[in-house]
Amino acid sequence: MKIRVGVFFGGRSVEHEVSIISAMQAIAAFDRTKYDVVPVYITKNGDLFVGEHLDKIEKYRDIPSLLKKSQRVFFHRDGDRFLLVQYPMKRFGSSVRAEIDVAFPITHGTNVEDGALQGYLKVFSIPFVGCDVTASAVGMDKYLMKALCKENGLPVLNCSRVYMKAFYGDKNGTITDVEGSLPYPAIVKPVNLGSSVGIRRVGNTQELMDALGYAFQFADTALVEPAIQNLREINCSVLGDRESAMASECEEPINYDAILSYEDKYLSGGKTKGMSAAKRKLPADISLEVRQRVRELAVETFQLLGCNGVTRIDFLMNASSGEIWINEINTIPGSLSFYLWEPVGMPFTRLLDELVRLAFKRRREEAEIVYSFDANILAQFEADGIKSGIKNGIKNKKVV
Amino acid sequence: MIAVGYREILSLVFLCAHCVSTLRWLHMFQLNSYKVGVQLRWLAQNKRYWLQDNGIALCVFPFSFLVSFLVSFLAPDGASLASWAFILLFAGQCWRNRPCRMKMKKPLVYTNRIKRMLATYTILVLGTVFLAFRAGSLEIQATELAVAHLLAPGFILLANGINAPLEKAINHRYVEDVRRKLREHPGLMVLGVTGSYGKTSTKSFLHQLLSSKYDVLTTPENFNTTLGVVRTLRERLKPYHELFVCEMGARNVGDIREICDLARPTHGVITSIGPQHLESFKTLENIVKTKFELVDSLPKDGAAFLNLNDERVRAEASRLDESGCKTVTYGFSDSCDYQARDMKVSVEGSSFSVKLPDSTEMRIETSLIGVHNITNVLAAIAVADFMGVDRRDIIVGASRLKGVPHRLQLICRGGDIVIDDAYNSNAAGAKAALDVLALFEGYKILVTPGMVELGPRQNELNENFGAQAAEICDFVILVGQRQTKSVYNGLLHAHYPESRIFVAANLGEGLSRLSAVDAGARQKVILLENDLPDNY
Repeated sequence: MKIRVGVFFGGRSVEHEVSIISAMQAIAAFDRTKYDVVPVYITKNGDLFVGEHLDKIEKYRDIPSLLKKSQRVFFHRDGDRFLLVQYPMKRFGSSVRAEIDVAFPITHGTNVEDGALQGYLKVFSIPFVGCDVTASAVGMDKYLMKALCKENGLPVLNCSRVYMKAFYGDKNGTITDVEGSLPYPAIVKPVNLGSSVGIRRVGNTQELMDALGYAFQFADTALVEPAIQNLREINCSVLGDRESAMASECEEPINYDAILSYEDKYLSGGKTKGMSAAKRKLPADISLEVRQRVRELAVETFQLLGCNGVTRIDFLMNASSGEIWINEINTIPGSLSFYLWEPVGMPFTRLLDELVRLAFKRRREEAEIVYSFDANILAQFEADGIKSGIKNGIKNKKVV
Repeated sequence: MIAVGYREILSLVFLCAHCVSTLRWLHMFQLNSYKVGVQLRWLAQNKRYWLQDNGIALCVFPFSFLVSFLVSFLAPDGASLASWAFILLFAGQCWRNRPCRMKMKKPLVYTNRIKRMLATYTILVLGTVFLAFRAGSLEIQATELAVAHLLAPGFILLANGINAPLEKAINHRYVEDVRRKLREHPGLMVLGVTGSYGKTSTKSFLHQLLSSKYDVLTTPENFNTTLGVVRTLRERLKPYHELFVCEMGARNVGDIREICDLARPTHGVITSIGPQHLESFKTLENIVKTKFELVDSLPKDGAAFLNLNDERVRAEASRLDESGCKTVTYGFSDSCDYQARDMKVSVEGSSFSVKLPDSTEMRIETSLIGVHNITNVLAAIAVADFMGVDRRDIIVGASRLKGVPHRLQLICRGGDIVIDDAYNSNAAGAKAALDVLALFEGYKILVTPGMVELGPRQNELNENFGAQAAEICDFVILVGQRQTKSVYNGLLHAHYPESRIFVAANLGEGLSRLSAVDAGARQKVILLENDLPDNY
């Protein structure tokens, strides 16, 4: 009996395509002697599909025809079985298209990485891989993440939070407020997106205005942060749970525009290889002390946010002063950060193994084991205390 | 023409009466585990139920002779009156046996087996009705139907007999299914848990402690027969399970071996050996032998965990030779591999130290009450530690252990403290429950129907129980007059005042007396000891 893993990917998110790439990489890496993998594709509308072609990346060039060859399903729990059931259902015979034991979301961005998909899975009480609802939600909202880190003394940059409606209601007032709290040059970014979408660096009022307008295409809240001089970015992945967690190798993404743009990150590196092929220095060219500090901070952040599974934490560093700040956390990192684990002796296949193990471990910890027996003489007490139980007892005189 | 109409109505009314009555016998048959011998013995012991069930139908006989006598004298018109009388008799019987009159603790479960039995039964009863319908006269028809009604328990046994080959084939298929499933799951560790008592609590504690390291499947509730294990594995075993904790119950020699042949345990726990099910086992030696079938079936690299607090387990353990698997002992004495000591038992819970095989010690605090629960927890600790569960996790897990409902479970209800031990029915457990009751301050009330299925020693054990209760309890409520006789005698022999005993006809009446007991200003502490199933 192999463990049946449902890999959920896609979803209503700007990182839909990236998620397909990450999922295909993982699906290819599962140990097939231990796992049966069921790819579950979530369309941009939120429909679920299963089918035999969904694990081949080249089929996604033409999604409509791929969907025609696949089967639309809904997720359903029947007792202790988790089923993907064909919709519309067949009139005769079984409509069950697949059964899974554990869900593995490999999804990026809003609606799927931010706790929404996790909450959906949780409703069914299926064990699932990765961060729980709260950690996913906090991890997605950069402002909340920073606030939590700040409260606990972890280094983050100051920032100013701007709401879309406030901005369009009073542009000048908003700009004045932001300029009053932060110096130029600054970075403007949507509050809840990963993968560098919607980010711009600004040097004056006009650029700030444009950048906010640009960021509001992707989210209704934007953050403005001071831009770091002599910026270097360092990323580090963490694997584990609240009880024990460890850090991976550190990488340094190579930036052309002072910020790693979406194009650099996913598109320039080749069509199918995803983040692993993005331009980077791996391991990052940093001193042992910096590496040590980054890895410690990464684990601290991971456990502070209550993360589970594998995450990637991105740091900003001032290359001349050596100062380090936590920039953001990806609760489901691109390519599951497998390329950061291989250098420390953990191949992708084992990483996946470990992730599934953590999912079951969390489920066990959550489970309340209750043994109850239906033959219960105390049922007679329960109506409203002892007295009514007695009335029932007399009324329903037992013959045997 | 009219007579035919009456006879059809009579057939229908009979059908209803027969079905209603059959459901009751079927229910009892289910509670008697579908064992024909047990059912027959049960019927022999409970003839009064059969009479209650047939009281009205029995009137049919004299009545039908009377009618045929009268009709032969009087005008044929008398037939219509007689027909109505027959119909009313059966209708009355049907109404009297109507299911909602009985409040069942464990109602009939419509399993597939029951459905198949009902299908066969339906054919049988329709055939009977048809044959009676073909009878020459109304009186003969009524007589035949009355006989059929009297034989209602037999119909079920007959249907069961007819279905037997089919059931056997189906069971065989299920067993093969499970064997295949287990073959496909080679890494699964199987931990058998057996014993005369304590096994359900031990199983629950094992599940809770081992879950910090393993994904554990446990046989639910009291699924402890071969078929219960088959059902558990068929329906619940998942590919991610790493350990199967399998409760193994026995009523006959060879029962444990049969379960072991199927489940192939790699580890085993024997919690205790006592005079349970002595009726079917005949001798204590047979019980010892049966429980140790678990140890015999373990592989060489497996391990047997033995409770040295139990004298019979201890005696048998000393006889085990070196050729078998490793044995790990637990208990309160120095010689145990896992020894509990410095025990503190209070109404808030129990705490104790465990000396581990490497001579280190850990302190365990639990909210469980009762000394014998310490033994059960100790069993779980020994297995968990042996199987590599982190010791810190064991300490944390033990402090969070929850008791099993109705097994010495402490409940506070409306100002009263209730010690619910309703699922217990053995002498050692009853004594342990009384010891727990003794710990409490307050007005101590025992509610019990006594103990059953203890074979020839039943009366003696119940009398002892009464004597023990006399020392501790301020008031005793005995449920059911017949089977509590020996507890009553035990109380009186210990010079317990009769005024502080109340014998209730049933649990309802007992509970009603309970609230009327005047405890003065003291808090009532109520021990509910044992609750008999519907077939008693």
